[in-house]
Amino acid sequence: MTRETDEGLASETDESAVLEAAMEAGHILLENGAEIFRVEETMDRICRHFGVKSDNFFVLSNGIFATGGNGEKGNFAKVLHIPVKGARLDRVVAVNQLSREVEEGHFTIRQVRDRLEEIRNLPGKPEKMQILASGIGSGCFCYLFGGGLLDSAAAFIAGLILYLYLLKVSSPHLSKIVGNIGGGALVTLACILLYRLGLGEQLDRMIIGSIIPLVPGVPFTNGIRDIADGDYISGAVRLLDAILVFLCIAIGVGVMFTIYRRLAGEVLL
Amino acid sequence: MSMAVIWEIAAAAVGTMAFSLLFGVPKKYYPYCGWIGGAGWLVYALLTDPGLCTAAEATFFATVLVVLLSRFFAVRERCPVTVFLISGIFPLVPGAGIYWTAYYLVTDQLALALSNGFAAVKAAVAIVLAIVIVFELPYRFFRLPSRRKP
Repeated sequence: MTRETDEGLASETDESAVLEAAMEAGHILLENGAEIFRVEETMDRICRHFGVKSDNFFVLSNGIFATGGNGEKGNFAKVLHIPVKGARLDRVVAVNQLSREVEEGHFTIRQVRDRLEEIRNLPGKPEKMQILASGIGSGCFCYLFGGGLLDSAAAFIAGLILYLYLLKVSSPHLSKIVGNIGGGALVTLACILLYRLGLGEQLDRMIIGSIIPLVPGVPFTNGIRDIADGDYISGAVRLLDAILVFLCIAIGVGVMFTIYRRLAGEVLL
Repeated sequence: MSMAVIWEIAAAAVGTMAFSLLFGVPKKYYPYCGWIGGAGWLVYALLTDPGLCTAAEATFFATVLVVLLSRFFAVRERCPVTVFLISGIFPLVPGAGIYWTAYYLVTDQLALALSNGFAAVKAAVAIVLAIVIVFELPYRFFRLPSRRKP
């Protein structure tokens, strides 16, 4: 939907074309896990290079507001709402690189917009690789937190199941809260089943390892950075996001334990 | 340093690289992410194993190293520091704390839940402090040893 409005508003004047491109760059950065100051800085770089006075940006964790023009010619004003999505740091790297190249003067504004379109369409890692990476990560972290080799093998399997759920069920269909509670519960269920089947000896270590792919590393780290930079609103929103996810994971694990205890009538561990 | 610690560092490095893939870090940066994750765990293990520090203190010092290395590589490779920092910090996130808090809460052991939850929060605060402090260092501090690109 935003794509259509972008094209609809496209360049009446050079100034609005530049501001459009800057906002597009900001949009990609913000959506994919960049810090607020980086979004502002990149938009500023693009505008400055093309000679547009650009002190009229306001960037929040999920929106960009920009105005341009001096009141004589047509004014530019735009608000972008940007829902929080998963992080794709390769896009952040690409936009960052682009903004440096723009500063060195390699691009016309048209080329910048084409390049941004390419970055937006950068293919992600294949789903199989992501699932495998989640399994390997879970296994490694299980070992790190004191699990044995069998525990790590079980965490590997639970990590695979978890990411399959995240890709196929949670991110397309569920809200963040329900999705993370479900993820925590699913991991616990998978580990309990594997434990009962005889794979793994320390149920606690298995679960700790395999919940790690749910941990909200991006909002947590960026929230801290934003607050340190003085972007309190965005930082607070991102930290709230992170804390909420941590709580949901804990609730999911707790719920599944309670169900298991009721059904099996025994205390775990 | 025992053999176990070396295996743990290897696990931290491989785990960190796996998560950097999940966050879409470009392939050429995986080794850096691995080094950073492994180095963070090395500091954490060296400080906690002989009981030199509490977990929160060790988390602080390990995070300081993780952020220093992340900033160094970011300047050297001219790319956003987020790329290295987010996955590098994963081994230090108090995942076990979350688990034990949840476990003790549902098994009605409130005192244990509280102390574990508090320990997890302390570790999180240690990470926050370390990140904030190291980002106060001026940019030129990291530029000196950096590679000049043509």
